Amino acid sequence: MEKITVKVRETARQAFSSGEVDKILGFAKGDFWQDSYPIFITNENEVDSLIWDSFCINNLSKYLIKELKNTQKIGVFLKGCDSLAFNQLLQDNRIEADRVVIYGVPCVGMIDAEKVKKEGLNKGLLEVKRSGDEISFVTKDGDKNVSGRQFDYDKCLECNHPNPVVYKELMRDEVSREVNKEERFKDVEEIEAMSAEERFSYWSQQFSKCIRCNACRNICPACSCETCVFDNAAAGVSDKAKVDSEDQFFHIIRAYHVAGRCVNCGECSRVCPAGIPLHKLNHKIIKDINELYGEYEAGLDPSKGAPLVTYKLEDIDPFEGHKGGK
Amino acid sequence: MKKVAKNKFSQLWNSINKDYELFLPIEKDGKVNFSLWKDEDKINLDAIKTNVSPKNIIFPQSETYLKFKTDGKKLSLENVGGKKEEYVLFGVRPCDAVSFNLIDNVFLREPIDRFYEERRNKGTVVSMACLEPEETCFCSSFGIEPETAPKGVDVFTWDIGQTILWEAQTEKGNILTEKLGDIFEEVTEQDINELEKLKHSIKDKVSSLPLSDVDPKKIDGDLKDIFESEVWDEISKSCLGCGSCTYVCPTCHCYDIQDFDGGKCGERFRCWDSCMFSDFTRMAHGNPRTSQKERFRQRFMHKLVYYPNNHQVYACVGCGRCIEKCPVNMNIVKVIKKLGGEK
Repeated sequence: MEKITVKVRETARQAFSSGEVDKILGFAKGDFWQDSYPIFITNENEVDSLIWDSFCINNLSKYLIKELKNTQKIGVFLKGCDSLAFNQLLQDNRIEADRVVIYGVPCVGMIDAEKVKKEGLNKGLLEVKRSGDEISFVTKDGDKNVSGRQFDYDKCLECNHPNPVVYKELMRDEVSREVNKEERFKDVEEIEAMSAEERFSYWSQQFSKCIRCNACRNICPACSCETCVFDNAAAGVSDKAKVDSEDQFFHIIRAYHVAGRCVNCGECSRVCPAGIPLHKLNHKIIKDINELYGEYEAGLDPSKGAPLVTYKLEDIDPFEGHKGGK
Repeated sequence: MKKVAKNKFSQLWNSINKDYELFLPIEKDGKVNFSLWKDEDKINLDAIKTNVSPKNIIFPQSETYLKFKTDGKKLSLENVGGKKEEYVLFGVRPCDAVSFNLIDNVFLREPIDRFYEERRNKGTVVSMACLEPEETCFCSSFGIEPETAPKGVDVFTWDIGQTILWEAQTEKGNILTEKLGDIFEEVTEQDINELEKLKHSIKDKVSSLPLSDVDPKKIDGDLKDIFESEVWDEISKSCLGCGSCTYVCPTCHCYDIQDFDGGKCGERFRCWDSCMFSDFTRMAHGNPRTSQKERFRQRFMHKLVYYPNNHQVYACVGCGRCIEKCPVNMNIVKVIKKLGGEK
């Protein structure tokens, strides 16, 4: 058992016995090496089902909206990226801070099962252990040890906040991760370098892969409307037809609606069953906000006014600054 | 039984394409999906599971039934649904092929869904044995043997290295085989030996898969008890209510009918729907299932209890796509195990 799992269980046990929380949101392990899934537990007897490993990718903070409706006080295990989402939910008035206890988990990066599969390392794989950048693939025929970050999710390689930005206590020492700031918006710059026609064709092709499952929306911590406009029959924009116009409409509306609130967690792209690089849309908007209104990171500091909802006399006219995207 | 050399594949596709539309597993941006073949496409017949199931070929995600237009007091209607062209769907895995039968059970019984029927009649399904079943595969739990032709496929094929063995299973399969004519060679005794070896090897692989012991028959209680089970509370909690599982699933077949309202003209279309969605089967009074627990329960009760009660067969084929695609790692295997009494 990994050391961190021991600490997670200890913390949860303590939290229940002291009456600090009524419920804990954490992870349990399923049948497969990559199968770490969210569980919600309500008493000490269930504490031993909790784990922490390199596949605890889900952001548990969005569950707080629903769970706080039926629970007074909740403990939750959050990584750096998840903690940004937590702050954003506070800022959006979707949850109450004093009813949540955050157990922060500094994170060196989560492992992308697809990348493991691509390297053929999934055959007979029983468990993946990780300590820093030393990864051990455990099979019944022995271990294979690999050093490096080649199995990390792409989004983890660009992570600015490996350590939670808000927490009550940390489950392990803080970690440090080098990120190349120069390359931060490389993906957006590639698309910006296209002509308007190329760009339109790029996104049309990407959106045409959409299967309209709503996974991107439902996993997104910034998508926290009580009823999404696309679920509201009275709005007359139900999005069920698999046609280009509706595919595009859905994704563009969503990108604009989370503009300035997207914490860049990349979950939209991770969960997309069709493989659409949805995070690039949000990434573009983050880049624009930075250029037009100065550096801003959603979820970093909830007391700081968000640029898209704070009017200042000296604000730039985006059509002058950016020429309307042309 | 006949065989065709892999170096004749390009000729094979062109020959099929002369008389039929041809749908193949095409790789694009790293994902393999069935789509209409064009000459420059990258065909991938090695991928065991296409990213989403091929059900969209026999049951499109959106299908316009009817176009309507008003001109003064005159209303004109145009019937546009269904499928006019003959087509070949090549490379369907046995699990997905069985899923077609399961959808048939619903759409081809009275009152028959005529557009669906037409689409099925126009199609010739060429299925392929699974050389390398994946760890998330559990078709054997539903009695599927990925080394043999399931009922309903028109042609079954086995990849034995440099050639594929080809066996027509139905009249439609015979017609396709005849049309392709001299592209085929006769099989030799050695080929048959190879085939036997291959079948054994697939069987062995299937029996040692990690999910080979998943057994839906363990869910054997009274319908009411299963419905009221406390298990549903626990396993539905993390469900996001998205439709990933539904839309990659080969057997989910629920749909909605909606109108494009263009003022004086419009279209009536059918589109896939998911019982996981909050507006599913919404009626004048609202939604009959108001919580995600109820919606989640509906999806699995349908596959594991209601459908089997109606059709004497489970509405899951063990393709395992939901295992790979669920954003929160909840899936039918976990449901079967929990409902079957596992801790």
